[in-house]
Amino acid sequence: MRSGAIRFRGFTWRPVGRKNPTIAGLDLHIEPGERVLLVGPSGSGKSTLLHAAAGALGTTISGEASGDVSVEGRLGLVLQNPADAIVAERIGRDVAFGPENLGLPRDEIWRRVDRALSAVRLDYPRDHLTSALSGGEQQRLVLAGVLATEPDVVLLDEPTSMLDAVTAERARDAVLAAVGDRTLVVVEHRFEPWLDHVDRVVALDPGGVVGFDGSVGEFLALGGRPGLWMPGAPPPTPVDIPAAFVTPTPHSWSSSPVSRWSSNRALRYTASFLDTQEPERAVMEPSQQGASAAMERDHAPSAPKPVIASDVDVVLTTRMIRGTRRHPALSNFSARLDPGTTTAITGPSGAGKSTALLAMTGLVRVSGGTVTPDRTRMRSRDLAREIGWVPQNPELGFLTTSVREEVERTASALGVEVDADELLALVGLERFAPSHPYRLSGGEQRRLAMISALAHRPGFVALDEPTVGQDRDTWAVVTGWYTAAARAGAVVALATHDPDAPRDAEISVGEAVTAT
Amino acid sequence: MRTLVTRVNPLVLLSVGAFSLIGSFAVRSLPIALVTIGLYALAALIFLPTWRYPLACLAFSGFAAVTIVYSTWRLGGPNTEVAVVAGLRILVLAWPGSVMVGFIDPGRLSDYAAQTLRLPARGVAAFSAALQRFSGFAQTWESLERTRRARGVAPGRHPVGQVKHSGSMAFALLVQAMRGASSSSIAMDARGFADARARTWAEPATWSRLDLGGLALTVTLGAVPIVHFLAGL
Repeated sequence: MRSGAIRFRGFTWRPVGRKNPTIAGLDLHIEPGERVLLVGPSGSGKSTLLHAAAGALGTTISGEASGDVSVEGRLGLVLQNPADAIVAERIGRDVAFGPENLGLPRDEIWRRVDRALSAVRLDYPRDHLTSALSGGEQQRLVLAGVLATEPDVVLLDEPTSMLDAVTAERARDAVLAAVGDRTLVVVEHRFEPWLDHVDRVVALDPGGVVGFDGSVGEFLALGGRPGLWMPGAPPPTPVDIPAAFVTPTPHSWSSSPVSRWSSNRALRYTASFLDTQEPERAVMEPSQQGASAAMERDHAPSAPKPVIASDVDVVLTTRMIRGTRRHPALSNFSARLDPGTTTAITGPSGAGKSTALLAMTGLVRVSGGTVTPDRTRMRSRDLAREIGWVPQNPELGFLTTSVREEVERTASALGVEVDADELLALVGLERFAPSHPYRLSGGEQRRLAMISALAHRPGFVALDEPTVGQDRDTWAVVTGWYTAAARAGAVVALATHDPDAPRDAEISVGEAVTAT
Repeated sequence: MRTLVTRVNPLVLLSVGAFSLIGSFAVRSLPIALVTIGLYALAALIFLPTWRYPLACLAFSGFAAVTIVYSTWRLGGPNTEVAVVAGLRILVLAWPGSVMVGFIDPGRLSDYAAQTLRLPARGVAAFSAALQRFSGFAQTWESLERTRRARGVAPGRHPVGQVKHSGSMAFALLVQAMRGASSSSIAMDARGFADARARTWAEPATWSRLDLGGLALTVTLGAVPIVHFLAGL
């Protein structure tokens, strides 16, 4: 086998704790130098395939593997969660890790480090702390670390998912320039920009089966596959989530008046939009007018208030025994978020989008300026009643050991009654109700994190990159959720780089804040 | 002067602990013990940027020392001086090293461990990556706390709630650490670590005059009790 080839022969993988294999009898040959785009709906086994090629299944990740998988040559892999791939305190040494492993001389190591850092446009000095990087910047750092080893095979799992269009384009150019005639396998949901640069498209269907394998031309001629973001197609219309699931809960309520909308009906309803490929609004059956009226009545005394930030600065402090380091994470940020309005916080990677969101929810203290209302000193329970925050890394938010409990956790702490099964059915996760949250794929975890944070129907909904890792169908659910919340009177803010994510207003956080 | 500790190389910092450990065996009388502890405290005052941290370490090693004093006093006959000297010996043994560990930069330590001490390269690199994850724990802890606060399950001021909460946070951190470790090992192997045979190091392990001076000082401090002991004090 020539250097750069990847071969799967009858490869089957069943992770621990799952009855059915997530990849079943896969046969796939990738020739040296081929550039392959790997697509498929959320949870179809794309990441698992890359893990298999990296030799991690059955060794580092436990489960049952059968069949053959082999990769010829040196492998470079960028995982979905970049934070786990960082091995050093400073960016220069982190990128140097690969070249050090290859036994290169010191001059060559630093030549490669500088070249890789500039290729991904990470314009910080070599001794910049890795802990001071934003999610998007970490993604670029990890990419630089892989490029610096000049691998024969490059495997990328959603390498630009956290980046805005301009930065993503640069990162993509960097990858393509660095890959040259090496083998490339890239997994991406928003794959349109890659199509001009790949030779072949492989589409996985749920269950890890190859549903399509052919040239880009053939793929496009096919006209589209369920759930995929086909080029040129307008973004799907957000699913119309019933108001009863998103209308802000007045503080006085001890239990919810949400009508007992049957699980069956919820399932049918989900099925109706999952089948719908064309952008048309799935319409809810008018089953809860009574509940809505009750809500409006009770709702009035504690309607969500606007959130106003003026000239906010946030300085994040990293405390170490060796000394304290401060990084400006946000400067001079002003915004007004009104009830019933969806505001998108946009801006380049590293500009402070996530920090702006945290400052407005009161989850981080501001070092300058004011946020009204100031929620930084509120008790956890009181804070949770008013806000719902969906974090960027969903795993850090999980509190329980089953998907169903996870959805109920906050609501039960606040005494708000929710029907977890209905909520799970709405986001297409009903079959995972008894599973551990960690068993879900990246995109599934994000949807779970969203409904777990919002099940209790807070008046201020704050979401950090909610559309990352979603296929068309699940994207429509995620965007449907927050737009419905805004229609129902909630204050909605999202930090996002997704230009298609619906919004009523937009605030740009400007240039990346450079650390001192 | 007070930033000196951050500028000397990590082996010098480690040597503080090593020599204090060797010296501690010569702590045989109260005058030797008091002089030695006094000198280390003086050095801490002059060379460390903070007082709080060495004091915290003193409290921890002091706890160990007190238990030794008590058991020596109970078991070895009620001789107060012998018991106190035994306690102070533990303090000399543990305190300087425990303070210094906090100031060691994991990345630099691996450079010196591999290049000066010639320890096996793969082990050193893995150790350094693991230590790097340790410093990431502070951030993970913060994120875990933030989500718990946002989800309405963070405790109030009640001490029982606080303790329970810390327990659940510690467990969550452990889970995160283990999950992170497997992703980390996949990522490291995919950057050539799996077959790193002749690993090189991006930065040299140099010994400046400052380092040599620091080493001389740590040897001197460690030698104080030995010299006193040999002189028959």
